[in-house]
Amino acid sequence: MTRQDFKELFRKGMVFLDGATGTQMHKSGMPSGACPEKWAVENPEPLIQVQRDYISAGSNIILTFSMGGNAIKLKEYGLEEETQSLNKRLAEISKEAAGGKALVAGDISSCGSLLAPYGEISFEESVESYKKQIQGLLDGGVDLFAIETMLDIQETRAALIAIREMCDLPVIVTMTYENGLRTLMGTDPLSALVTLQSLGADAVGCNCSSGPAEMVEILKLMKPYAKVPLIAKPNAGKPRLVNGKTVFDMDSDTFCSYVEALIEAGANGLGGCCGTSPEYIAKLVAAASKYRVKAVAPSHVSLVSSNRKTVMIHQDLPLTVIGERLNPTGKKMLREALIRNDMETVSDFARQQMEAGAHMLDVNAGVPGIDERAVLTAMVNAACNAVPLPLCLDSSNPEALEAALRIYPGRAVINSISGEQKKLDVILPLAAKYGAMFVLLPIDDTGVPQTAEERIAIIKRVYEKAQKYGFTKEDILVDGVVMTVAADQKAAAEALKVITWCSREFGVNTVIGLSNVSFGLPSRELINSAFLCMAVAEGLSSAIMNPNDEGLMDAKRALDVLKSRDEHALAYINHYSSGKEAAAPPAAKVEKSEKSLFDTVVEGHSDRTAEMVRHELDQGVSAERLVDEVLIPAIQEVGRRYDDKVYFLPQLIRGAEAMEKAMAILTPYLAKAEGAGLKPKGTVVIATVKGDIHDIGKNIVALLLRNYGFSVIDLGKDVPADRIIQSAIAHNADIIALSALMTTTMTEMPKVAAMASEAGLNTKVMVGGAVLDKEYAASFNAFYSRDAYAAVKLAESLV
Amino acid sequence: MKVFRHIRPTYDRKLIYARLGYKRGTTALTQADEASLEELIQKCEGLCDIAVAYRIMGVQSNQDGVIILEDGTGFKGKALGELLSCSDKVVLMASTAGRRVGEAINGLMSSGRASEAVVLDAAASEIADAGLDFVMDYIRTQIRKAGKTLTRLRFSPGYGDFVIEQQRDFARLLDIGQLGMSLTEACMLLPEKSVMAIAGIVALEAQTAADFHDEIQ
Repeated sequence: MTRQDFKELFRKGMVFLDGATGTQMHKSGMPSGACPEKWAVENPEPLIQVQRDYISAGSNIILTFSMGGNAIKLKEYGLEEETQSLNKRLAEISKEAAGGKALVAGDISSCGSLLAPYGEISFEESVESYKKQIQGLLDGGVDLFAIETMLDIQETRAALIAIREMCDLPVIVTMTYENGLRTLMGTDPLSALVTLQSLGADAVGCNCSSGPAEMVEILKLMKPYAKVPLIAKPNAGKPRLVNGKTVFDMDSDTFCSYVEALIEAGANGLGGCCGTSPEYIAKLVAAASKYRVKAVAPSHVSLVSSNRKTVMIHQDLPLTVIGERLNPTGKKMLREALIRNDMETVSDFARQQMEAGAHMLDVNAGVPGIDERAVLTAMVNAACNAVPLPLCLDSSNPEALEAALRIYPGRAVINSISGEQKKLDVILPLAAKYGAMFVLLPIDDTGVPQTAEERIAIIKRVYEKAQKYGFTKEDILVDGVVMTVAADQKAAAEALKVITWCSREFGVNTVIGLSNVSFGLPSRELINSAFLCMAVAEGLSSAIMNPNDEGLMDAKRALDVLKSRDEHALAYINHYSSGKEAAAPPAAKVEKSEKSLFDTVVEGHSDRTAEMVRHELDQGVSAERLVDEVLIPAIQEVGRRYDDKVYFLPQLIRGAEAMEKAMAILTPYLAKAEGAGLKPKGTVVIATVKGDIHDIGKNIVALLLRNYGFSVIDLGKDVPADRIIQSAIAHNADIIALSALMTTTMTEMPKVAAMASEAGLNTKVMVGGAVLDKEYAASFNAFYSRDAYAAVKLAESLV
Repeated sequence: MKVFRHIRPTYDRKLIYARLGYKRGTTALTQADEASLEELIQKCEGLCDIAVAYRIMGVQSNQDGVIILEDGTGFKGKALGELLSCSDKVVLMASTAGRRVGEAINGLMSSGRASEAVVLDAAASEIADAGLDFVMDYIRTQIRKAGKTLTRLRFSPGYGDFVIEQQRDFARLLDIGQLGMSLTEACMLLPEKSVMAIAGIVALEAQTAADFHDEIQ
C-alpha cells in the first residue's frame, strides 16, 4: 500500500481498526508470563480466529500480534536473536487471517524501558532495535505499520524514524494519554500531533489507558491542526471493581454511544483497545455509518513543538519571542561554559529566558575549535530537560544539525537555510527528513543582497525548491535579514520591505535577529526597541531577541495590544495589573496609622512592616506602645486566623516573619527604655533529637516562639541528649522543646526527659513530630503539640 | 531493576496545598498569595531532579502478616500482607528529588525566608512522592495488555505496622546508591526528599479488599 493509497482510503470515509487481541488470546489459553509473540507463532490458530472475527465485524485494518516484538523487549525472554523471524511469521499469520479482506499493519510498541536521558537505552539503540522488528514485518508482507500504546514521544520518534529509514509504507501512530490529557512522560496531544505528522506519520491519534469520553477531548485538541487523519482506539472504559472483581465498566452499547462525539471531535479511524472484542467493533461499525466523517482541514498557522509544548506562530497571534541568549557569540560566560561542557549553565540560561517570557529558544554552539556536534546535542538535551520551550537549532554545520535534529524530541526550527547551493543541497533534505520548520535566509552564494527586491527573488527560489520536498508556507519563517544601521542606515528599511511583502503579499511568517540592527551603536536597547515596533507594524511574526531586556518585552506586550494580537488585552492586563503592585516602592504604600501596621503584620508584608515601624518611630510613637498595642495584637490575630483555618501555614509564618522584622528594629529602642526592654514570656531550649536530621518543623516552631515573645535557644538538629540538658541548665530554661520525625529517633525523647529529671531540672518537656501522639508524650511526662502554632499555645500555657 | 532519571512526574497541586494546611472554602488566599505559591511551586519543580528505581520480585509466601520474597527477604505487616494477598509478584520502588531542592529549602530557612521554605518543602515532598506514582503508572501501562495491573495502594516502611527499619531491605534490594540515595543509622533517607514503597501486581480480575474499600471511597 502506498502512502497515497492510504490517504485515499481515509478520504472515502471512516476506517475501522481492530479491538483488543491480547485479552482474546488470554481467553484462548495463552499462559500468563509467556512471551506473547512466541506463543502466538507456536499457536497460530487462536490468533487467526480472533483476527478473522474482527474482519467479520468490519475491521478494515488488523494489527499483527507483535506489540512486544522489538529486539530489546524480546531480550527479556532470551529471544533477541529471533526478532526478525518471529515478526516475519507473525506478519504471515495475520496476512493469512486477512485473506485479502483487510489490510495488515505491523504492530510496534514500547521496548519496556525509557530512552536516555530518562532511562539507559540510547536513541540509536532504540532505532536499531525497531529496525530488526521492522525488517521481519516487512519480510512477512505487512501493508502498513501501526506504532501504538506509546508513552514517550522520543521512543515514538525512534520507531517512526526507523520505519522511515527502511521503507515508505504508511504509518499510524497512537499514543497513550493519562488523566490530565498528557502522556505519562508529559506530552500533550497537540505537541504529539505536531511532532509526529511533521516527522512523517500518516495518521495520528490515541489508544489505550482511557475510555472513549476522554478520547473525545484528545481529538478536539488535535483536529484544528491535524494535517493527517485522526485515530481513536479507546479502552472499554476504565477497570472497575464489581463484587471484588475488576472489569472494564463499559458494555458495547455504552462504548458505541460515544461514536457520534468521537466523529464530531474529528475521528477518521476508530477501533478498540483493552476490554473490547469483535462485538464492540461490529456495533462500532454500525453506529458510525450514521455520521459523516470530518475531512482533514488544518489551519494555516506555523507550529513548532517540544515534548511538552506547542508554539503557534502567525502575524495575527502575539509576537513569538525566540530567546537569543543560548548563543556564545559575545558571551564570555556561556562560551567558557560550553568549552568545559558545563550544561548546568545552559539549563540556567534556558530557565532565565523562559521566566522572562521567551516562547522558544535559539540554540547555537558556535565556539571556534569546539566539537559542535557533541556540544549542540548536549545543549539540546540540557535545554529540553530544563524548560518545555521548543528550540530553534542555529547551526550551519550539517553533521551537528542532523545529530541535534535526530535527538530533539519535538518539531524544531532550523536556523537557517539560505539560497546558497550547499544549504539547499544538504540542509533542506535534513529539514524534510526530520520534519523541521526552517528560517529562510534570503542570501545566496553571491552574498547578502542590498535591496528587498533581490532578497524577495531568493525567497521565491528557495520556496520553490522547498515545495519539492513537501514544504508549505506554514513550514517557513522568512528572515528579513537585518543589518546594522551603524554601517548603512538604509538597512533597516530594506529589511522592513521584505517583512511587509512576506506578511501582506506572499503570506508567510517572518522572523528577525533583532539585535543585529543596533550593532556598533551605544544604547543599543533604544534602537532595538524602536525597530521592533516598526517591524511589528509591518506584520513581523517572531523575533530572535533578548527576553531578559525588560524594555523590549514591555514594548512587545504593548505592540501585541496595539496590533490586536492580544485578544481583549488579556495578557497585557494580567502582566501589568499584578506587576504594577509588585513593582511599587514599599514607601509609597505606607499609610501613616497604627491600624495599617497591624494589617501589614497580619497580612505578612515583611518589608512594608519594617518601613512602617520606622515611620511610626519617626512620628514619635514609642516602641513599647507599638509592641503592646499593635504588634502583639497583630500576631495574635494571625494565630487566631490560623486556628480558624482562614490562614494556612505559609501565611502563619509570613506573619511571624513580619513580626520578626518589626522586632529587629524595635529591640534596641526597647533595650534603652526603662526596665531594660521587653521581658520574654519564658526561655525555650529547642532541638531536633540525636539521629534525626529533619529540622524544618523545629525551625518553624522556633521562629513562631520567638515572635510570640519567648527567648529561644535553638541547638539545631541531631543533638545529643546531654547537650540539650547542659543548655537547659546554662540558660535556666523553662521549657525543653524536642522534635523527631521517625519512629527510630523518637525514642531519644524519653532519654532527654529522664536526664532532665536526673539533673533535678524543673523544666517542662514539650515534643512534636509526624510520628508522635499525645499518649506517647504522656508516657514520659512530656507535653505534645500537633503543629507549630499549637506549640506556641502549649508553651504559653506551660510558663 | 530499572532506573529512570530526570523524570517530570505529574503531581496534584491540591495535595501540596493540603500539606500546608489549606482548607477549601475556609482558607482565604488573595490573588497575590496564589501567584506567589504558584511561583514557588514552579521553582520547586525546577529544583527537583526526580530519579526513580523499581524492581519486580516474586512472592514466595504471604502468611499471617509475613511476606517472604523470592530471595528470602521478609517483610512484616498485617496491612501489607492484606494488600499483597492476591499478588504473586511485587514492585519495590524508590524515588528521590535529589540534593538541590533540599539545599534550597535549607538556604531559604537560614536566610529568614521560612514562609517560602515551607512551600518548597511541601512541594518537594509531593513531587518526590509523585515519582512513585510515575513508576506505578508506568508499570501499569506495561502490564495492562498482559491482563495484569497493580494494587491501587502502595505501602512505605514507617507507616502502620510496617516498621521503618525495613527501609534497610529496600535500600539493599534497590541498590539506592545508584540514585544518589543513602540511609542513616536511624533509617532516614538522604536526600531528605526521598521515598520508598511496595505495591503488588495483581490480575485484572482480582484486586484486594483494601483496594475495593479505596474504590468505594
